Amino acid sequence: MKGTLRRSLAGLATSALASAALVAAVPALADGPTSADIAASATNTSAVLTNGMGPWGQRYSTLTQVNTSTVKNLVPAFASSLGGEKQRGQESQPIVYDGTIYVTGSYSRLFAFDARTGEKKWEYNARLPDGIMPCCDVVNRGAAIHGDKIIFATLDAHLIALNRHTGKVIWNKAIADYQAGYSATAAPMIVKDMVIYGNSGGEFGIVGSVQARDVNTGELIWERPTIEGHVGTLRGQPNGMTGKLNATWTGDLWKTGGGATWLGGTYDPESNLIFMGTGNPGPWNSHLRPGDNLYTSSTLAIDADTGVIKWHFQTTPHDGWDFDGVNEFIPFDATVGGKPMKLGAKADRNGYFFVLDRTNGKFVSASKFVMQTTWANGFNPKTGRPNYNDDNRPGAPVGAEKGKVVFSSPSFLGGKNWMPMAYSQQTGLFYFPSNDWGMDIWNEPIAYKKGAAYLGAGFTIKPIAEDHIGALRAMDPTTGKIVWEYKNKAPLWGGVLTTAGGLVFTGTPEGYLKAFDAKTGQELWKFQTGSGVVGSPVTWQQDGEQYVAVMSGWGGAVPLWGGEVAKTFKEISQGGSLWVFKLPKN
Amino acid sequence: MSEPLHRRALLRSALQAGLVAGAAALLPRPLAAAPLAKVKADGRLRVGVYADNRPWSWTEGGVLRGIDVDLGKALARALGVEPQVVEFFAGDDLGADLRNVVWRGGLLGFQPCDVMLHVPFDRQLMIENDQVAIVAPYTREGFGLVCGPEGGDCEAPPVQFRGKRIAAETATLSDAYLLGSFGGVLRSNVRHFQSGYAAMAAVGTGTADVAMGTRAQVEAALHDFPAAGLKRRKGPIPALPSPGWDVAMAVKDNSRTLGDALETIVGELVAKGAMASIFATYGVEWHAALAG
Repeated sequence: MKGTLRRSLAGLATSALASAALVAAVPALADGPTSADIAASATNTSAVLTNGMGPWGQRYSTLTQVNTSTVKNLVPAFASSLGGEKQRGQESQPIVYDGTIYVTGSYSRLFAFDARTGEKKWEYNARLPDGIMPCCDVVNRGAAIHGDKIIFATLDAHLIALNRHTGKVIWNKAIADYQAGYSATAAPMIVKDMVIYGNSGGEFGIVGSVQARDVNTGELIWERPTIEGHVGTLRGQPNGMTGKLNATWTGDLWKTGGGATWLGGTYDPESNLIFMGTGNPGPWNSHLRPGDNLYTSSTLAIDADTGVIKWHFQTTPHDGWDFDGVNEFIPFDATVGGKPMKLGAKADRNGYFFVLDRTNGKFVSASKFVMQTTWANGFNPKTGRPNYNDDNRPGAPVGAEKGKVVFSSPSFLGGKNWMPMAYSQQTGLFYFPSNDWGMDIWNEPIAYKKGAAYLGAGFTIKPIAEDHIGALRAMDPTTGKIVWEYKNKAPLWGGVLTTAGGLVFTGTPEGYLKAFDAKTGQELWKFQTGSGVVGSPVTWQQDGEQYVAVMSGWGGAVPLWGGEVAKTFKEISQGGSLWVFKLPKN
Repeated sequence: MSEPLHRRALLRSALQAGLVAGAAALLPRPLAAAPLAKVKADGRLRVGVYADNRPWSWTEGGVLRGIDVDLGKALARALGVEPQVVEFFAGDDLGADLRNVVWRGGLLGFQPCDVMLHVPFDRQLMIENDQVAIVAPYTREGFGLVCGPEGGDCEAPPVQFRGKRIAAETATLSDAYLLGSFGGVLRSNVRHFQSGYAAMAAVGTGTADVAMGTRAQVEAALHDFPAAGLKRRKGPIPALPSPGWDVAMAVKDNSRTLGDALETIVGELVAKGAMASIFATYGVEWHAALAG
């Protein structure tokens, strides 16, 4: 494998030099990270400046002090509680800069902790209207840092920039109307002094979009709707239609087509492309919306300066299983068939691991990574489209009878849901938390919403293996082969970190932060944090020592679903703490 | 219907206990704390109604109005307490609404209501939501169709609406019917709106030719756009998957004393004609619930 896969760090190294020059030339911006620092942050081991630990989102650190030999000695340095009664799912990834750890908490809160002592510096509680009824949980997935600001999104669909020293509001902008069903939980991304943000909301009637706002004022610079027929804007002017009107949608269904960008994206500084995943189409019953329904369940590559879509790849055309396609697209470089390539990878809700040419969106490969994919039998390498199993599409209701019930794997919670994967530049492997589960799914002729008869879909989620639902898997992106897997009884719902110390870290709902050998998958260390871990771990170096941090606090979408799956986590207690670890001094 | 009847029988027996509790403060604590007694002790009935659900409940000029709003006030008056009618945003399904509004409250501080209005009296809903009791069906809803001056023959088979501008609320049963029936021939003619009333109003203002929605939405539009030349379809809509449904209210499963008191009040409002006059204010004809 080493022979066929050669890593390239040249691009990143160049960016790092450029940023150093910029900082020196503009001392006025010295109070905090610049956009150039952020673009080069993947190689900065003394800080964690972005969600994903660098714009590519590889979650890879070159630090080696904690390694396969020493990790067994890892002990807590401190734990900091988020306090109060608001202990629900903690899906945040910490941001670390200049002796401070910034974490967001459930209920749209942001905390600043001293990175050496764990003492709280300040706390910001967004004032939320009590009328919001979030669909899932009240999670938040993290903040973005830039200059003197720390920026995060709130459940009532606002972006808020706080002074990172004081926690005082600098600007606060509504990015969508929460009364129309929009919300916001993803971590923002900083690109060229802009805050890049997606949107999220309930199942009916919303349209996905990506916004770029001035990081200093919060004013809108460009917006790009994700559904064909809608027109984007650049600095207040129309900037071209997304796709072609009615090419893949009938009538005016595109106006309410879905495609929410609820997870945010990644960025490639070299090509200046933002990669953003889009959610499922509406309505539920796919028979009512013939066509591919672009650009739902897709990855979009968007020019960061103008918001124009440069390429797209649809992972589930004409989605009828609520697979959604928001999963992160992570750039990496590798040699395929003797040819060095600029690639990107995405482990999709639909159970396939995609490798694409990130410069043009061309299909390279799609490999099954869960036990079963009932809806399709692989992808056609020529067209990049799924080989559908037509019998496995839930049927249309006939009169008052529900449509044909099908057993579908993965379940709509996905082969992999929101939890971000990691790519090791050392092993050339991707590490992702996946889940083996299926569902009975059908279209209901009559369900009720808002007190009246509506379209509905019915689901029953069930495990498909005796011994596990969750599985942390290591995939070789050049061969599509699973190199190793670690099975977990409860569904995995937290992010992954990998390091040049030969390690892979991830958390479990059972409350453990665990470390594995990146080459073999052997479990080398674990620590019980007291509640389920559904956050994403990070690492950095401070005062000559390597630190590892993760949020603990059980919640998210999984506990909402009962039945057989719930048996695996019914004893897990809620929580809300930041845990920080390091090796003992001697 | 055996399940709802069973529930109603249970409520009857609970009623007697509740009335006693309300009458005598000397009873042991568990009974004195019964929900009906608590509503009376608080002097307030908190009633949850859907936001943006015209003609049942909507906000206009900062004032919450509609059939359900007036009914909520009438229920409180009959109990001898102050009404507190509050609107809430619909969740993805009824289960979410019952959780947020009746038995748990919103995660962000929305206080549970004593009663939530406009809950379908549906057996499957009752089975799936055993934290609440669905009681006191107060009217029957169904589907209707309205045509504007350019809508052609409103009594024609719906396939003949092909080419017309047809309005419906997104993802409702009306929407599915128009998109999916007759081999999908009407699919490209359907225009989607965020509420049923907005779809009706589109015909009222001439931006659509035909609209399909609930019966109350149709009648409210006829009432609100008297000069628009609207016609209502008199014949049935063929091959509809739903014959209509009874509209009821939900209380917490342990609030059956309140639930039965509300059933009694609904019966009285119907008998006095007060129920029909509340509906008439909004141009809607009251129909008795089948289970009532």
